[in-house]
Amino acid sequence: MDVLLSVEGLEKSFKDKKVLHNISFDVRKGEIMAILGPNGAGKSTTIRNIMGIMYPDEGKITFHGYNEIPRNKIGYLPEERGLYKNVKVIDILLYLADLKDYPQKKAKERALTYLKKFDLEGKEHVKMEELSKGMAQKVQFISSILHEPELLILDEPFSGLDPLSQELLKEEIRNLARNGAAILLSSHQMNVVEEMCDRLFMIQQGQKVIYGTLDDVKMKYANFKCTIRGKNDLEKIEQIPDVQRIESKEDSTVLYLHKDITPAKWLKKLPDDMVINELVMDRISLHEIFIDVATNKNLLLANEQMGEGDEHA
Amino acid sequence: MRNTMKVAKWEVKRNLKNKSFVIGLFLTPILMVVFGFLGNLMGGDTSDNETAKIYVHDELNTFANLEATVEQYKLPFELERTNIQEADVEKKLKNAENTAYFFIDNRAFNEGTLPFYTSEDFPESISSQVQIFTEAVKLVQMQNLGLTEDQLAAVSTPITIQALSVDELGENSEKEQAMDQEQLMQRIVPGVFAGVILLSIIFTGMMIFQSASQEKKDKIAEIILSSVTPGELMQGKIVGYFVLGFVQVAVFIAFGIPFILWAMNDLPLFEYLFVPELLLFLLIAVLGYLLFAAIFVGIGATMSDISTAGNFQGLVIMIPFVSFFFIGPVASDPTSILAQVLSYVPFTSPVILLFRLVMLDQWSWVEISVSLAILIMSVWLFMKLAGKIFKVGILLYGKNATPGEIWKWMRA
Repeated sequence: MDVLLSVEGLEKSFKDKKVLHNISFDVRKGEIMAILGPNGAGKSTTIRNIMGIMYPDEGKITFHGYNEIPRNKIGYLPEERGLYKNVKVIDILLYLADLKDYPQKKAKERALTYLKKFDLEGKEHVKMEELSKGMAQKVQFISSILHEPELLILDEPFSGLDPLSQELLKEEIRNLARNGAAILLSSHQMNVVEEMCDRLFMIQQGQKVIYGTLDDVKMKYANFKCTIRGKNDLEKIEQIPDVQRIESKEDSTVLYLHKDITPAKWLKKLPDDMVINELVMDRISLHEIFIDVATNKNLLLANEQMGEGDEHA
Repeated sequence: MRNTMKVAKWEVKRNLKNKSFVIGLFLTPILMVVFGFLGNLMGGDTSDNETAKIYVHDELNTFANLEATVEQYKLPFELERTNIQEADVEKKLKNAENTAYFFIDNRAFNEGTLPFYTSEDFPESISSQVQIFTEAVKLVQMQNLGLTEDQLAAVSTPITIQALSVDELGENSEKEQAMDQEQLMQRIVPGVFAGVILLSIIFTGMMIFQSASQEKKDKIAEIILSSVTPGELMQGKIVGYFVLGFVQVAVFIAFGIPFILWAMNDLPLFEYLFVPELLLFLLIAVLGYLLFAAIFVGIGATMSDISTAGNFQGLVIMIPFVSFFFIGPVASDPTSILAQVLSYVPFTSPVILLFRLVMLDQWSWVEISVSLAILIMSVWLFMKLAGKIFKVGILLYGKNATPGEIWKWMRA
């Protein structure tokens, strides 16, 4: 896949506080790339720098095949939602398409098609302020894709949408990627990211934490964990091999396992006299990785690095 | 530049499609015309313009002289002889309106006074005009003294003192005075016109402020800025509201000119309007707009709601209106030091300079040039600063900027 956008060594400070540290990643044509991180991690700042709304202190942003930011080829759905309130839906869609130099006639056709697609048929002459929040959000999404962008930047596109609209939106985003658009998606909803994204970039306090394909990330960070319900002595549990970390709550215990274990073999190593009312064996989810990063525990990652160290030793 | 025009076009279209803007557009001139109309009707009702009836009890045979005086000075009196006795006057006047009884007899020579009885509502102004009749009575007295014609003529010619200032010397013929009057109109009419334009675009300029802060409040700025640069957005707004200001002026003219022509009775308005001075006045008005627009757009970008404006922002919004505090002092002496200084201060110069140029006969081109130069430089400077504030401010969601922050952005 061709790289459309390259971000290299991005640095940005507000006042004396550095909010981005050496951020580098690529977005390729036809892929959905996720940018993840807790609130205030620097996602929106990164995006604004890409959009040329802000300028980085250091680093380079390259749109391959263009000398400068191809504003007309970018679609942007900011996290902060809003459109002019007292204007008609169709007027604002055409205005925003016009700002992208997209032909008005074509824009109108596409606008009507998309309104229909998103269950907003007949709303084109309704004023924005009369729409519900979800409807307005769909209109805003349409405005970001109306001009057939090559790069689509979506900041939290699903927040506030009902499940049905979320599905519609997901489908449309996949469609655009299939047709060759590069998509940079920021979201807190890990299930969505797991479901849709090809690659991800996780950021915390302005620094890269994880970067890679979803499979890589899962392979690398999403070790197996075993959840056992039943009252057992902690001492006994601590003797079980290949356990990185134990989380014990009342009569339930979560065992975080080493990366290279074989589940079937490991299960056989459980003591015979262990109380097991219920046992679940699964991988650590992206959600847990995210929570771990966001709460700054970094337990998983620290242990992971430790695990790697052990391997080398 | 293309994007600037797109933004401008959008602002114009958006506002013209907005009901409250359109209503405001027509309401202001309609209100002005309606009040002007009412004022005229009420003005026509005052008793000052009515003729008063004066009954003359004439024992000295001066009635013909009195009538001649009324004719000569076009006094609003109607004279009539009467034989009524002084004792009956009080009863007569009780029920009368705008009426007076004038007794001319030997008391004029013996006591030096003549009784002039008036009804209750008799206008004050007419009472004082009556003094002019003393001349006619005096004439009778002199005739009685047996003066010759020449002596009479010499004594009865009144002497008045005519005040002539230096600049009026050599142009005091009647024809020149008429031309003077016309020159004044040639300045006042375009001046008032430019003033209307300046005011309209300043008020429309206030909407720039609204527009910028609304865009911030509605959080659309970020979307627009993904397509255009902050500079283009800001310029587009300034151009767009400039056009809207002229739309307002056009509506004013459509309502105002027929009204003025009606109210002023065939004033040759257009002859007075289209004079070279108009161009200068318009230039001042446009520069004034650009200066205030820059201030409004910059400040508008620093806050999301006028009701949350801090003291600092509130003060800045008042800047264009500071000039109006000084209108009084400047009007009383347009050549004073204060007036000159205010013409050099960029915030007050558009209004004050315009006002002074209308008031003054003789223009100091040096002063005008300096004033314009300062104004043009200020416009350039404030546009630059506004651009810097706008760029950062418009994206700063959720809080209003502090003066400290604004200062920092300006220096960036």
